[in-house]
Amino acid sequence: MLNGALDRIRAWAQINSPWVVHFNSGSCNGCDIEILATFTPKYDVERFGVKLQGSPRHADVLICTGPVTRQARDRLKRVYDQMPAPKYVIAVGSCALSGGVFQGCYGVVGHVDAVIPVDIYVPGCPPRPEAIIDGLVKLLGKLEGTAAHA
Amino acid sequence: MPESALDRAETLLDSSGRDANRPEPNRLDVRVDPKDLLTAVASLMDARWGYLSAITGLDNDSQLEALYHFCSGADIVTLRASTDRADASLPSVCRLIPSAGVFERELSELFGIDIQDAPDTSRLLLPDDWPLDVFPLRKDTDVSNVPSVPVLSQPSEKNRFVVPIGPQHPALKEPGHFEFTADGEVVTAASLRLGYAHRGIEKATESRSWIQDLYLLERVCGICSHVHALAYSLGAERLAGVTAPPRAQAIRELVSEMERIHSHLLWLGVTAHEAGFESLFMYTWRDRETIMQLVEDLTGNRVNYSANVLGGVKIDIDAARAHALLNGVDFLEQRTRHYLEEVGGDETFLRRTRHIGIMSAHDAEVLGVVGPSARASGVLRDIRAEAPYAAYLQFPVEPVLRHTGDLEARVLARVLELFESYRVIRELLDNLPAGPLVARMPRRIRAGETISRVEAPRGELFYFLKSNGSEHPERIKIRTPTLCNMSSALHLTVGRYLADVPMLLAGVDPCFSCNDRSVHLNVAGDTWTWQQLSQHAREFYA
Repeated sequence: MLNGALDRIRAWAQINSPWVVHFNSGSCNGCDIEILATFTPKYDVERFGVKLQGSPRHADVLICTGPVTRQARDRLKRVYDQMPAPKYVIAVGSCALSGGVFQGCYGVVGHVDAVIPVDIYVPGCPPRPEAIIDGLVKLLGKLEGTAAHA
Repeated sequence: MPESALDRAETLLDSSGRDANRPEPNRLDVRVDPKDLLTAVASLMDARWGYLSAITGLDNDSQLEALYHFCSGADIVTLRASTDRADASLPSVCRLIPSAGVFERELSELFGIDIQDAPDTSRLLLPDDWPLDVFPLRKDTDVSNVPSVPVLSQPSEKNRFVVPIGPQHPALKEPGHFEFTADGEVVTAASLRLGYAHRGIEKATESRSWIQDLYLLERVCGICSHVHALAYSLGAERLAGVTAPPRAQAIRELVSEMERIHSHLLWLGVTAHEAGFESLFMYTWRDRETIMQLVEDLTGNRVNYSANVLGGVKIDIDAARAHALLNGVDFLEQRTRHYLEEVGGDETFLRRTRHIGIMSAHDAEVLGVVGPSARASGVLRDIRAEAPYAAYLQFPVEPVLRHTGDLEARVLARVLELFESYRVIRELLDNLPAGPLVARMPRRIRAGETISRVEAPRGELFYFLKSNGSEHPERIKIRTPTLCNMSSALHLTVGRYLADVPMLLAGVDPCFSCNDRSVHLNVAGDTWTWQQLSQHAREFYA
């Protein structure tokens, strides 16, 4: 009974203000500037309570861009491990989803979900800011579903 | 007839080099014996003949070859030094050219050429777990299954406090890693580790076709994607003996300048953010959306626009789009005037920029700085003016020079360049040549070597292309402007306060934000637990 109530409160808090940390594991910057654009006035994702955070220790959601390079693989894992649970991952861009155009390059080990679990996939090279917002809102919808069932 | 710069170089290299030849009208290739390399480099540097723009490695079977490209205006002198594959080694030129360090580290890692007397032999690009004896750009290296080797942790030195920055940070565009050694608040040393985004693109170009490479190379950088595709297309066209039609060249210049506008506005916003000027950050990014919309209307995409094809462009501009672009440029020009007042007049902002991080013209030359960062120190390095490409000969731009060399000059140089971009866009739209968009490319690109240089928003972008006449390029070497500018940024931080570091790094436009606060302590290879750490703290401060 008490646990259920705590879960509901937690989900409610997360839906209203998910904090986001961004990690680039080998991206060309294309997706990264589009993510930054979603936090600026025209797209303004803060209207959904989403806030960009500096430290993974403060974050609920990890947004990943780029294929995972050999050098970044361990760092990606470490950043994910530093986030407090419950935590969610959004993979943004073709490279994060599949390695994209960099498949087969010697520095690339693969896509993001080969390294950490991914909840939402946003395709595109790079995805438009609207698509990134859609991904975030879908995640919020998913959490809302969890809250209703808790 | 006056002596040309290439003639002068040929005279200078007369004693140290041999087999001088001119593969293209603006290029001089000279063979140099490794033991005469330093003499040859010294004779060019002593006569102040240009600057070292890049070092290209080549694998010629039993020999490995290093190409030292020196540029002066449109002229390029290449010193070609060969060394035996089995025992490859070349002397370091860092004593003469301090900025060559990053190029040499790249050469030694990717080709396995031992650099004698190199000041810094630490890893720059390859992953930590990459074996020491696997050199990916050698032709016989199979990179499909490179084993992982244990990572050795560096012994930490006592009595120094190291502030690591990166690779993870929200506003970090490039996942690099810097280590600043600090004495109190003052930086005493700085070091650089790249490679977090090292994907191995140069190797990948060799297994893809000339056409596939266009799309791969456009994705080297998502901010200046057009210039990468442009440098590659211009080089491939030159090898094939094809010239793109005038209308295509003009549209290439148009898109280049639109890209410069979006990139400079992006940079202005990020720099304002580093200075804590959040409202300027938000306003510039709001206005940047104007140019993003126009780029999308013209090309169909906001970021990787794919405007180029080999032989021309695939987009055209009609009256309605030209009209929209002119309106957009009018709006942005008026906004940029406002930004100029802000960055040039706001007392608080000026305290973060004026007289900070001064780089003299001499330092900028010696450190091999390119682009707006060099122009802010009064060094005229702008490929658009020095070696006009695409349509820059018919529609020239006037490089913006500042002379104080501080952060303020670097900010002003970029903001003032925006006005030049607006002006040239208007001129291009008023006088756009008529005609076809694409010239026919031959099915095969004939064997040969060429160098293609363009002015990216951050400075000179250098491409070396070698064709063997087959479907795939033999070698493509890319030297991006940030590689040149990064070492100068590090040089500037030494002796400054830690608090100035983010601004100094941002000053050369590789966008970095505030210092990473998590210090990873390694003691004799062990990672400390929280209990050990607090115990250590209690004892240390007792």
